[in-house]
Amino acid sequence: MSEAVPALSGAKGIDWALAESPIAGNLRQFVRDGAALAATATVAAFVLLALLAPLVAPHDPAEGDLLRRLQPPAWMSGGEWAYPLGCDALGRDVLSRMIYGTRVSILVGVLVIFFAAVIGTLAGLAAGYLRGPVDIVISRLVDILLGFPYLIFAIGLMAMMGPGLSNIVLALAYKEWVLPCRVVRAETLAARETEYVEAARALGASRVHIMLREILPNILSPVLVVATFRMAHVIIVEASLSFLGLGVQPPTASWGSMVADGRQFLLEAWWVSTFPGLAILALVLAINVASQGLRDAFDPRLQS
Amino acid sequence: MTPLKLAERILQLVPVLLGIAVIAFVMMALTPGDPVEIMLGDARSTPEQRDALRHDMGLDRPPLERFFVFLGNALSGDFGLSFFHRRPVMDVILERVPATVELTLAALFIALATAIPLGVLAAVRRNGWLDRAATIGSLLGVSLPGFWFGILLIMLFAVHLQVLPVSGRIGFGQEVPPVTRLLLIDSLIAGRLDSFAAALRHLIMPALTLGLAMGAILMRVTRTAMVEALAQDYIVFAEAKGLSRARILGRHALKNALIPTVTVAAIETGSLLGGNMIVETVFGWPGLGRLVVEAIFARNYPLVQAAVLLYAATYVMLNFAADLLYTALNPRVRL
Amino acid sequence: MTAHRSWIPALALAAFLALAPAGFPADASELRVGYSSDAVTLDPANHRSRVTEGIILNMYDALLARTDDMRVVPELAESWSQINPTTYEFKLRRGVRFHSGDEMTADDVKYTYDRLTKPNAMGGQTSPRQSLVGPLKDTEIVDKYTVRFVLREPWPIFTAYVPFNQIVSKSFTEKVGTPAMATQANGTGPFKLVEWRRGDAVILERFAVYYGGSPDLPPVGPARVDRVIFKIIPETASRVAALLAGEVDIIDELPHHAIKQLQANPRTKVLATNGTRSFFMPLNNTRPPFNDKRVRQAANHAVDRKLVIDRILSGLAVPLDGIISPQSYGFNANLKNYDYSTDKAKRLLAEAGHPNGIDVTLDVDNPFKDQAEALAQMLTRAGIRTKVQIWERTAMADLWKNPQTNGRDMTFQSWGDGALDPVGIFVPVLRTKDRGNYSGYGNPEVDKLLDAANTETDTAKRSAMYQQAQAIVNDEAPLIFLWLPQDVYGASARLKGWQPSPRGVIKLHEAAVD
Repeated sequence: MSEAVPALSGAKGIDWALAESPIAGNLRQFVRDGAALAATATVAAFVLLALLAPLVAPHDPAEGDLLRRLQPPAWMSGGEWAYPLGCDALGRDVLSRMIYGTRVSILVGVLVIFFAAVIGTLAGLAAGYLRGPVDIVISRLVDILLGFPYLIFAIGLMAMMGPGLSNIVLALAYKEWVLPCRVVRAETLAARETEYVEAARALGASRVHIMLREILPNILSPVLVVATFRMAHVIIVEASLSFLGLGVQPPTASWGSMVADGRQFLLEAWWVSTFPGLAILALVLAINVASQGLRDAFDPRLQS
Repeated sequence: MTPLKLAERILQLVPVLLGIAVIAFVMMALTPGDPVEIMLGDARSTPEQRDALRHDMGLDRPPLERFFVFLGNALSGDFGLSFFHRRPVMDVILERVPATVELTLAALFIALATAIPLGVLAAVRRNGWLDRAATIGSLLGVSLPGFWFGILLIMLFAVHLQVLPVSGRIGFGQEVPPVTRLLLIDSLIAGRLDSFAAALRHLIMPALTLGLAMGAILMRVTRTAMVEALAQDYIVFAEAKGLSRARILGRHALKNALIPTVTVAAIETGSLLGGNMIVETVFGWPGLGRLVVEAIFARNYPLVQAAVLLYAATYVMLNFAADLLYTALNPRVRL
Repeated sequence: MTAHRSWIPALALAAFLALAPAGFPADASELRVGYSSDAVTLDPANHRSRVTEGIILNMYDALLARTDDMRVVPELAESWSQINPTTYEFKLRRGVRFHSGDEMTADDVKYTYDRLTKPNAMGGQTSPRQSLVGPLKDTEIVDKYTVRFVLREPWPIFTAYVPFNQIVSKSFTEKVGTPAMATQANGTGPFKLVEWRRGDAVILERFAVYYGGSPDLPPVGPARVDRVIFKIIPETASRVAALLAGEVDIIDELPHHAIKQLQANPRTKVLATNGTRSFFMPLNNTRPPFNDKRVRQAANHAVDRKLVIDRILSGLAVPLDGIISPQSYGFNANLKNYDYSTDKAKRLLAEAGHPNGIDVTLDVDNPFKDQAEALAQMLTRAGIRTKVQIWERTAMADLWKNPQTNGRDMTFQSWGDGALDPVGIFVPVLRTKDRGNYSGYGNPEVDKLLDAANTETDTAKRSAMYQQAQAIVNDEAPLIFLWLPQDVYGASARLKGWQPSPRGVIKLHEAAVD
């Protein structure tokens, strides 16, 4: 990339002018949106909880006592404050498992979306800017993956690769990149005809430079919006895999696996699955509100 | 749409279906597990018997040969025998299609019926309390794991209130002659209101579970499109001309705002058709999704192959339909 | 999708015809079963699935049946005798009708067994139930009501497997062909098929001229309910909900944690029967650390089987010191008991050279995650630090097919034996390299005893051989011995006259509802 830089001081100026000032304005609007801000704070709180889990959790999430099997929450008869949200089928503290579960759920969501966004953006840039055979190959691959039902694809991959957290991330990322890819390709197709790209090309910038330094900064915001929106979906799909018995490995728990494993006790021990269910709800809600705030702030067509 | 364009679209289908067939085959071939062992389980078996079964299933041939045999037969419409049902795979699959289609259509109906009015109102009263409420409601719809929400619905409506059945499609004695095999429609054709009511009662919880999530997505699309449409010059112009608010909304803004909603709905319907196995399991709904998941776990290769291809073909056709709709609704676009 | 249009009218017509004769009085008694999985076929000879057999048994009878205490008694046969070590003669009951109205004769019996035995006898395919007839060479018709089974070699347990093979009608099967047998039924059983709604329900009605069933399985006579519906409800929580909602009268695979709630509810009850599926944890005997007998014995001392049975299995299981059911033929009641003792376990570990304990991985499939995690915690406390790894069932079976090369430590397994004879469970699990030998255990002495017992026709001698083999295995502890759970069913209070069968099938001939 560096070899093209000397010739590009002018183009770089255009780049800055176009990209920097709207983002600053967007941020200002985002900050003004109270709900979005609150949601972002909630997400941050969950992330903090995940990081500090060992300090916050009252018990070892893996250690259980069968004598406390399905013990109810503290405020119900039979409960005790040492185990405020009750115990699961092996007598483990539901609260502690949820706190540690925050790590897994957020990790799965963030990793899948990160891989998907990186792969999807690079593939979309290449397809949209280079066109020709590269575009045909990538677009067909996208069509093929879109035609493959999401969950069936994930189940098939899990069956093939075997269990484990890293395989869950892979199984979901293999398909998830398709969505950012489509968005980026469409945006790139539009961007390659703009004046600043023309100018960079006229100045002799390399294709790699144009894609990564000229186009990419200008199309990042839709990628960001799609990515955050999909994170909620990924957390739900991870729960679905647990429902089908393809979830994370013990003694780790994710919220999804806690809901899925606890659903069988819904009749007699509702707390085992309800609290992690509410946690999923809170996180997904927060991510979505934050992403909608982002979208309202960053999608120029929606600015009133 | 010219015949040439149509032919082009159909030709594009070929590499996609071929690619899906290859991926599905490779995936199943690399997955550990032996269908013969699964079929025989713990009970007595002899090596000779296992060889005979392996031969019946075609598993005594090398994978590459198996793939081309499958491809050749598939082209002539023969997808082979299901390993465990020991009947033609397409028979086994097609028996399950009507239930899945009916559930999907019902979910689509619920989604559209809630998403469009709420989306429009949310856009018109942007940032009002209704907008906020609808937004939060739609977010609830996408953030609940379907199996959990489904079981909660069962607890409430079937166990506590006892107003809706837990599972199945229709009770005994309420059968109607199959015409479309969609029970709601068939019962109306037969003039059996009791059957219609029974089918509806069975359908409502699973359709709601699926429809809420889809409605959430559609509501957001409608709201966005409506906000965009209301900001267009011609709407502002119409307002300036003194046209009534209702007329502007109905005749001008809504018509334009519906285009993305319908397009997204068509595409979402495609993913819904292939994504409702969990709701089918919870509600004992005899659809295709459940069958396919069981087939993956049982290494029933022919069934997985054929079903995935069917899903893919349907998905591509629905996308095609979405494009057609898009053109029909929006005369400015020509495919 | 348009290509399927032509197919719809044909099936529509077929389904309509199938439905047409269904006309019942409004007050007909109806019994509904919430069943965990659908039948894969209705052809008695074309599956190897116990849930499928559970449905088929209500429409098809066999020559012999089993009582709830697992004795073999006549059903379609009136009597049988063993003429010589390789020949059995069966006298058939007279006047037994198929649902089509045809009389069942020796022709049908021979046809049924030929279909099971002969290669490619089922429309070009071979029956997957072939091995359930053992070394059967030929079926001979003596007269209209007498058949002889001729074996290639002595097989003392031939009659124990006869109840697994239901009799089909020769003329019907030849008329409709094997493919159609998958979806149609014409048996001699207490119920006839009304409609099979695939994935949804199997609907049966009482067969009015049923011969009455086995005289050893009272009450004799036609079924007591007019109609039976097997409703397919795969999700456990939904199945329990359906029972609580009064939608079904029996549910299978009742989870243990739901027992208390059903017992407390005046409208529901819990029914249990001795199961035939033993649970155990194969240790990989072919590599360290479990190639050392002391480490394996330590593992057996480390688990508190009683606590798991009490807390997770609601007390509805018996602890085992081997793998054979106490009700089985050849059961050795004098096996050494590995009492729960963390100290003994630690001492044995230290003797084996592991004073600081060992680290191992336990492979389990998802439905048994709870039990495996509880056991892993106990093992960990005794110095066998156990990490649990969850697998998809099929992948795990594949992984453990070759313990010699799989590099794994231990797994959680079970083996079902509906015939309650060591040959159905002890041999496959513990004979060198047999098909269920996940532990990789091999002991020539045990093999010799098992092979000799396989052809020994003196029952007492045969039993003694198995008991000796059990004593050896008990001492060498190739597995962690666990328990034999009861099969638990949920039922509505209005259900009468039905008890679950140890065979794990739901036969509703004697069931009634208020």
